[in-house]
Amino acid sequence: MAWLKRLFRSKEKAAKPEHKMAMTSEQADKMLRMIEHTQDEELSCDEVFKLLYIYAEMASLGEDVGELFPLVEHHLEMCPDCREEYEAVMRILEKRMD
Amino acid sequence: MIERSNEDWLTSLQSPGKAKQGALADLREIILNSLPYAISKYLHPSDPHFDPLIQEVAQETLLRVMGRLETFKGQSKFTTWVHTISVRIALTELRRARWKEVSLDELQGGIDSDDKMREMPDQDMDVEISAEQSEIMAMIQKTMMEVLTDKQRKALVAVAVQGMPIAEVADRMGSNRNALYKLLHDARLKLKSHFEEQGITPENIRSSFEK
Repeated sequence: MAWLKRLFRSKEKAAKPEHKMAMTSEQADKMLRMIEHTQDEELSCDEVFKLLYIYAEMASLGEDVGELFPLVEHHLEMCPDCREEYEAVMRILEKRMD
Repeated sequence: MIERSNEDWLTSLQSPGKAKQGALADLREIILNSLPYAISKYLHPSDPHFDPLIQEVAQETLLRVMGRLETFKGQSKFTTWVHTISVRIALTELRRARWKEVSLDELQGGIDSDDKMREMPDQDMDVEISAEQSEIMAMIQKTMMEVLTDKQRKALVAVAVQGMPIAEVADRMGSNRNALYKLLHDARLKLKSHFEEQGITPENIRSSFEK
């Protein structure tokens, strides 16, 4: 727990009043995972949308889209809205009724 | 229905008269037949809203397609490009309906109010949580209070913790999806560099949950 103490030592005096947040450990884990995978440069939703049809079609053809479009793949991991839309387009391309 | 190449689609849709009407009617048919694959996960085909939604989305998609034909770069099938447009319209509509009763404040889950937490006990939440884990959670929360702006924290809690769609949070904050993604990106970067400055990785913290 040394790291935990280290994390807050510097701010201890300036700490604001205690607040409680209704967060489960799964939710905290999910958020920390996102922070961990944050990159300095990330594509925006609009930039991804302009590439999504190419990305989806190549994915449906079995291409390694993660290799070809790493920034799109990364955005889809970080953005639930774009992810949901990508998966919906894939269901159309693969005629899957999930 | 006529089989069309990308070039056929573009030529027909940009030509006057019957060729255009025929292409629009075929495209509409394609959208109507495809959308159920995309949305039946969220809205059952027997739902009375299902058909009207599909009709409405098909109409809106055709308008947008005609308005931005020049942005299609031809690196996929024309219809795949159209599907990304119809899916965006449909899911935006479904998210709006699904989240319309939820305000951002109630999603903060008591971040600004201890009373609220006591009013809404969640039986499933953190029942098994250890003292160490609960200390970590409190510390994460404290870091968020200190490092992030109100807006960043509100958005991050709504999206990353409560699972609210980015577009819906953006609406409630008078912003748009693109700008809100950037705001969240900044928030994540701030937290990441704060942890780094302290010599801690988020992975470090996460491993405590696995104990």
